[in-house]
Amino acid sequence: MPSAPLDTRYQIETPEGIELPLRPAGLTSRVLAFAFDLGVRAVVMGVLLVPLAMLGNVGIGLGSLLLFLISWWYMVLFEVLNQGCSPGKQVMGLRVVHDDGTPIGWSASLIRNLLRFVDMLPFGYFLGAISCLQHPHFKRLGDLAAGTLVIYREQPLLRPQIPQATALRLPFALDLSEQRAILGFAERQGELSTERVHELASILATPLHVSPARAVEQLNGVARGLLGPT
Amino acid sequence: MRLSDASVVIRPRTAWEAMDLGVLMAREHRLLLMSSWALVTLPVFAALTALLWKYPSTAIFLFWWLKPAFDRLPLYILSKALFGETPSIKQAVRQWPRLLKGQLLASLTWRRLSLSRSFVMPVSQLEGLDGPARQKRLGVLQQRNAGAARWLTTIGVHLEIGLWFGCMTLFYLFIPQNLESDWDWQRLILATSSEGLWLEHLSNAFYAVILVFWEPIYVACGFSLYLNRRTVLEAWDLELVFRRLRQRLSNVVPLLLLMMGLSLLPFSPPAMAESSPSQKPLATQDASQSIKSLMEKPPFKNPETVTRYRFGEDKPPVKNKAHRDGKLPDWLKALLDNLNSNTFKHIAQGLEVLLWGLIVGALITLVWRYREWLRTFVSRRRLRKPQDLKVAPAQLFGLELGLETLPDDIASAAEHLWPTQPREALGLLYRGLLSRLLHDFNMPLKSADTEGQILERVNQLQQPQLLAFSDDLTRHWQNLAYGHRLPPPSVQQQLCSDWRTLFSRGSNP
Repeated sequence: MPSAPLDTRYQIETPEGIELPLRPAGLTSRVLAFAFDLGVRAVVMGVLLVPLAMLGNVGIGLGSLLLFLISWWYMVLFEVLNQGCSPGKQVMGLRVVHDDGTPIGWSASLIRNLLRFVDMLPFGYFLGAISCLQHPHFKRLGDLAAGTLVIYREQPLLRPQIPQATALRLPFALDLSEQRAILGFAERQGELSTERVHELASILATPLHVSPARAVEQLNGVARGLLGPT
Repeated sequence: MRLSDASVVIRPRTAWEAMDLGVLMAREHRLLLMSSWALVTLPVFAALTALLWKYPSTAIFLFWWLKPAFDRLPLYILSKALFGETPSIKQAVRQWPRLLKGQLLASLTWRRLSLSRSFVMPVSQLEGLDGPARQKRLGVLQQRNAGAARWLTTIGVHLEIGLWFGCMTLFYLFIPQNLESDWDWQRLILATSSEGLWLEHLSNAFYAVILVFWEPIYVACGFSLYLNRRTVLEAWDLELVFRRLRQRLSNVVPLLLLMMGLSLLPFSPPAMAESSPSQKPLATQDASQSIKSLMEKPPFKNPETVTRYRFGEDKPPVKNKAHRDGKLPDWLKALLDNLNSNTFKHIAQGLEVLLWGLIVGALITLVWRYREWLRTFVSRRRLRKPQDLKVAPAQLFGLELGLETLPDDIASAAEHLWPTQPREALGLLYRGLLSRLLHDFNMPLKSADTEGQILERVNQLQQPQLLAFSDDLTRHWQNLAYGHRLPPPSVQQQLCSDWRTLFSRGSNP
């Protein structure tokens, strides 16, 4: 058994000593984002190439210019100018950042997108997929070279509903994870079955000095108390 | 099952993150998963190949169809490893026949093509549910994450195909060139002779190898999706923390009571001035030695070896390209011919003119943008020009300053005016002074200047006589203009004679 349990989080420490947890994104969501981007590019190319094809040789020339622009600059421009999100990444809730969590710049984005052609070797992202599945933070070769990381964006949270109860204070101190767990218990009651809610609450019935039947209400009260006046 | 023994961090994740956790789990036990998978599947594959030597497509299809039966082994290993009881390869492979018992037929027939196969597999294998109970369980589980499980299978299919083709391409790239030239790739694919058979079996073998790598990951992703779903449904993470909290409290409460009892007893807290254990005094030499050795270590000194590529002497052979040029494909030739045609030439010239025009325009814009800078720092000739060009004001304080508006002999004109119109006379003198300053001394007067400012400028000319006269005249003019106080007649005469002595050079130039 490994000493530290496996987790998908990636902790970075800022110079101010603040721990930032990032969530690196793995193969599946990235494949879907790439497929979406590929589709967008195909549609754009299709729409633009049809009128260009009617222009004859000039059309061929302009079409090759367009092909160059779209295949080499689509990702780079979107990533640098749109906070690390190409349209596919936007749809999948992904984002590219530097290894230290700072926004991606021109050089890193260019390197990671130029090296796509190494990742594609010898066929259809063979190397990229293997590297992505083997690396602890799901980096493909381009990411390794550019020092970038694809992470899940933080999504805005909905304000959770907490059941009504009279606010209580516990006679002993709770640490952060325990406070979070009690709040989570109150917030997630809607998703859990009633039996499970009672089972969970009865774990804490003895230390709270209440009967197991009243433990749920007691815990909700503690959660209210932790939440403070709202 | 004891959650506290889990070797992964249990918390609710999004479906994608849950699959990422599966990839990490597969990575953690990669060697075990891959070798056990290879030990089980490769003999089956070999047997199938040998049996169906004439029908390679059937062999690979059967092998592919049997995947759910093989999948049970990685799932067993992962479920054991999750709670820290990782089996050895021998144990795992021995378990496999036993794992095949439950619901094998169903998983190999009507459930075979289910897209959420990996997600629901743990229900039948680990929970041992069957029939309506299983259906009910699936109904609950598949409310969420089932879409992600379907995506997982879809991506898996594409990935298998991609990796498979990648392996074949890799193989093709490694064939020596002299061998390759004898081969006609198409002929080999289309061939049904025994010559083509082994090639097909080879590509089948590539697929089997790909599965050794990918299939455990696929199973792990499905398993972690299942775990995540149950974590959300049953709040495993909360249970973990609650149990830990109970553990902590049951340890702490007696201790708390004890502490409270003890605190009733009188005891003295340690005083600040209490003698601390005497420290051994450090010798200066030792101290500096240890400081030096500390300063050599990482946080203070970070030696780094930098290795760079340098250009070698030998040039890469250029011959190869010329050799290739000899046999261009037809379509490329046609394209090049088209590019050389006249119609394109005109448009190309137009484009060229346009591009050059853009460059020239950009340069001009650049020069225009920095024209001040260029004037200041580059061109010396133009430096004085702006001052020369400055237009002399035609009026100051409402007084006309043009040469043509003044009489030729200002002093005599003033003397004439003194008895009748003293204000006009003094005004004439002052106007004359300003006009002289403006035109003879090239003084840069502006229409915004005040009398005082003009005097300051006169001061800068370093001509005491002129300064004294200007001072005098200005004072009297100000007295008259703003205070309506006429200068005495003696002063009137004095001013006129001073004017004559100052500007005796005569009339206007």
